[in-house]
Amino acid sequence: MSEATPDHAREIAGEARDRIRFEEEALALADQVYRVARRLVPSPEEAEDLVQDTYVRAFRNWRSFEAGTNLRAWLLRILTNLNIDRGRRAQRAPSTQPVEEGDYFLYDRLDEAGAGEEHRLVERLSQDSIVEALAAVPHDFRDVVVLVDIGEFSYADAAQILDVPIGTVMSRLHRGRRILKQQLADMAATG
Amino acid sequence: MTAHGDCRQCEERLQPYLDRTLTADERAIVQLHLSECGRCARCYRLEEVLWKHVRNCCEEEVNGELASNGLQQRLAALRSEPG
Repeated sequence: MSEATPDHAREIAGEARDRIRFEEEALALADQVYRVARRLVPSPEEAEDLVQDTYVRAFRNWRSFEAGTNLRAWLLRILTNLNIDRGRRAQRAPSTQPVEEGDYFLYDRLDEAGAGEEHRLVERLSQDSIVEALAAVPHDFRDVVVLVDIGEFSYADAAQILDVPIGTVMSRLHRGRRILKQQLADMAATG
Repeated sequence: MTAHGDCRQCEERLQPYLDRTLTADERAIVQLHLSECGRCARCYRLEEVLWKHVRNCCEEEVNGELASNGLQQRLAALRSEPG
């Protein structure tokens, strides 16, 4: 049996405090983590499972989090890794999409459809169509769009979370946004 | 450069402009063109409207789920036992 010296007892108490603080800070971010997860997997149920698994792992490995660094990015890194481990990449999207249109394409199409004004754009593109269009963007591109444009992570954080260079984040982001806009243009023209 | 060439360059710079990754010179060229070209100015404006709309839509959809899915409680139950 180990000796319960005063130093040792203090150490244990300090560690328990650190752990409790970590858990509280992580839990406070749960809604934000879920918001990102929800856009990375198809259903609310899968998003909940993924977030739950993320927290199981985070609570188990809390010591490897470096205090003072970005906890939300740390949690999202666990989450994206778990998502990949689950074999999501088995259905890897083709790395080359058909050549997409430029950044103005959507707006020219909306204009042709008589929806070229700001308030008309919002009317024309329903919540359902936005969510559907985003879900249709291939994973590699969508991950980046979700992290940067919806999660509001910096390029650097997104690069760290996804473990890719910043240049890759930027090129996927630009391409992903264009793919999303092209989907929306197709919907807006027919809708 | 032709007016058409200016518009093409401006279209290419839409994302880096809004992401603030252009150099000061590139930025100034875009701004000058936007002050002269209605179509480019409209597309830049709509791009900002679009992404704000995308964020709002995603947020609204998830708000309802978060209000009812009990996720917070389930995650809190994963915490280690005190002591």
